[in-house]
Amino acid sequence: MIDLSDLAKINERYNMFSEITPETSTDAEFAFSAKDNLTAVGFQARAGSAILEGYRPVFDAACVERMRSAGGFLVGKTNMDEFGFGSFSMNSAYGVPRNPYDIERSCGGSSGGAACAAAVIDGHVALGVSTGGSIACPASFCGVYGMAPTYGRVSRYGLIDYGNSMDKVGILSGDAKDLGRYLPLISGDDMRDPVSCNHPPLQKRFRKLRSVAVVRGEASAGVNSAMGSAEEELRSMSVDVETVSMDTLRYALPAYYVLASAEGSTNIARYCGLRYGRQDGDLTLKFDDYFTKMRSRYLGEETKRRVILGTFTRMMGFRDKYYAKALGVRNAIISEYKRIFERFDAVLTPTMPFISPRFDEISGMSALETYHADVLSVPPNLSGLPHISMPCGYSEGMPVGMMLVADHWNDDILLSAAEEWQKRFDARSPEVSL
Amino acid sequence: MKIGLEVHVQLPTRSKMFCSCPTEGSAEPNTRVCPACMGFPGSKPSLNGEALRLGLKLAKMLGCSIPDTTWFSRKIYFYPDLAKNFQVTQQETPIGLGGVYMLGDKPIRITRIHLEEDPGKIKRTADGSSLIDYNRSGIPLAEIVTEPDISSPAEARRFLASLLADIRHTIDLEPDSERSVRCDCNISVGKERCEVKNVTGLKNVERALTFEMVRQTKILKAGGKIERETRHFDEERKVTTSARKKEFEADYGYINEPDLGVYHIAKMASEIENKETPMEMIARFVGDYGMTQEAAKQIVSTDIGLAGFFEELAAATDAETAKTFISGVISSHWKGFKPSRGSLDDITSMIGRFAKGEITDVECNMRIRCIMTGDEDSCRVCSDDLDEIVGRALDENPSVIADYAKNEKAANRIIGGRDEGDRRNILLRGDSQRRQAPDI
Repeated sequence: MIDLSDLAKINERYNMFSEITPETSTDAEFAFSAKDNLTAVGFQARAGSAILEGYRPVFDAACVERMRSAGGFLVGKTNMDEFGFGSFSMNSAYGVPRNPYDIERSCGGSSGGAACAAAVIDGHVALGVSTGGSIACPASFCGVYGMAPTYGRVSRYGLIDYGNSMDKVGILSGDAKDLGRYLPLISGDDMRDPVSCNHPPLQKRFRKLRSVAVVRGEASAGVNSAMGSAEEELRSMSVDVETVSMDTLRYALPAYYVLASAEGSTNIARYCGLRYGRQDGDLTLKFDDYFTKMRSRYLGEETKRRVILGTFTRMMGFRDKYYAKALGVRNAIISEYKRIFERFDAVLTPTMPFISPRFDEISGMSALETYHADVLSVPPNLSGLPHISMPCGYSEGMPVGMMLVADHWNDDILLSAAEEWQKRFDARSPEVSL
Repeated sequence: MKIGLEVHVQLPTRSKMFCSCPTEGSAEPNTRVCPACMGFPGSKPSLNGEALRLGLKLAKMLGCSIPDTTWFSRKIYFYPDLAKNFQVTQQETPIGLGGVYMLGDKPIRITRIHLEEDPGKIKRTADGSSLIDYNRSGIPLAEIVTEPDISSPAEARRFLASLLADIRHTIDLEPDSERSVRCDCNISVGKERCEVKNVTGLKNVERALTFEMVRQTKILKAGGKIERETRHFDEERKVTTSARKKEFEADYGYINEPDLGVYHIAKMASEIENKETPMEMIARFVGDYGMTQEAAKQIVSTDIGLAGFFEELAAATDAETAKTFISGVISSHWKGFKPSRGSLDDITSMIGRFAKGEITDVECNMRIRCIMTGDEDSCRVCSDDLDEIVGRALDENPSVIADYAKNEKAANRIIGGRDEGDRRNILLRGDSQRRQAPDI
């Protein structure tokens, strides 16, 4: 039996859930959570947005359905940046999740609630979603393992879209073995998501990681120091470690923000205060005035910024300069990765260039500075490549994460690397006081 | 004057374009809907392959070039009948480009044909509010865009009628099903063009275009300037009214539809074999059977089945005989013909007997009419006691036979009044000629 009686109390302190099951215990085999942009019958799916208040989907997301039918019990929906737009989980209409290592700091985002739940709750498996680093970033900040599989590996059916050509369902957990246990469970093609794919299927016997290419970039001293030790440790595990340069990666960030915002702005178009979610506007207004009012009132500031940005990049006269060009950049970056994967199993970088910032530091950051935080986690996401963030050290008492990126469909190499790494790495646990 | 059309045709698939909701069935609003065609968050589209196949059939029929790969785009605009506030359509890679449609001898160039989803329907109520029915949302549409090659409203109507006949034939569209045809009509009398949006039905297309032609001509004659704009056709008042000025091309902010993949359609397209279209059939009849364009068109446009029967008959007899009977008695009774008193084979053998000289054309026509209509008079005179009826009439009026030899009009005496029609007239004349003449 799994005891759930503490959940509400834990959530009071960390605010990782936007909705919790009313049950206090369950006989289920395991407990899991789903990011709030994944639909689950019995729960609202609000994706961190006030405009979706009251939306109760009538269908389970494919990943939730598979977890449930494998004996999992859904304990709640985890808090997130509105529609995934953010890197610190501060853009949520349902409060801000707090870092288990220092509640004055961010959990990262946008799957901040998921990473927090994975770090705080014993034996917890969290379903997260990554578009531009939304699994790796919070996993790194909260000191847990976070895996985003190859694009298409897991069905997106039931996922509330952000950037459809990059959205991936993945898993976060404090235990690396959980990733290898549950990723195969939720993987596989699904008629309901035409871009889901199972060719080749996930290997049953995970292949071993033998070589990594290290790409160096700007990172804080604390992060660099933790990475240095990690490289040494990898060598001692008889992994070849070599430094390479990947010049095109610096174009990934602008290309990502163009494509993700372009797609995102079309996805946000449907939220007009009709049919589901908030519908409490003045119905005597004309349609244009009605939806303008509803959107102005219920969409958050960052969402509005990305809608404007995304709409601009696909406008006539700018489309070729931004949207079409970004599509080309994506292909160039994939080619660059492929060139590296001819010689190496994976690419290694820090997950984030710094440890989790304090909330007061984040408040002082411009939108552009915030976007820049994703500089390392964006390239594999833009390219649809599987990647994993693993805790690799501590700086100022806060976790540091390293990220391994493998070639398309080589998810298994990352899963085996995480299991091997966990055996070696001396992980800490956050002190959970209630 | 230049006219170009954008023709929207609903494709006859059983389920919708991106979900499994039925396209036909209950008329009750919002009963044939699901999270996908209602645009609920978390739903995903899944392409119905049959929509793609039917679209490719039309692209082939129009002689378009078909790309090896195709994908979809999102066309973003806010409208309450559009569940997602974007329409999934094809912007960059339409399934067909650069075709041509022959309207008789006149080529009408086809710019493109692409697939897209139909929005829902808005019903305005008396109190000024609107109700939306999403049953139509997601029904597959093919949009056919022509070059401005049409030169009059009447020609536009002829073109549409002819194109629709070919479309119906190619994809087995029911002639009178609820699936409607909608048209956006572009017309310019001078330099600037106006677009009349969403006109339903052939008659309305001609009316809307005629109204626009007159309106634009008047403005130009008065020295005015045509403003580029989108106009709306009011079916009741039969006028077009300005909907919105169009100084710039509307910007729909297209992006590639990221939920659907890239479709490799070359193989599917190469495996499609279209039936001969009615227009192709007309051209072949003119060539093969030495018919006039009009005669061929009359047969083919009555019904494809009639045209098929003509070919059978021509093979069984000869082209001339087949032409005579088909465009005569058979075509006039074709609609509503139910093979109860006899089949098409019976008609063929009857005409065979006529061709061999066993029966007169009059009797042959009468017997065909009996087979096709079951009309009692025709059948009675066709029955075996025909000789008896005529014989008795002649027995009762013996002088007629002698008089008939001198003047054929003599038969009129026993034929009866004008109101009894030509039918008995013809029969009696024929019979007295055939059976009595030798005795004189």
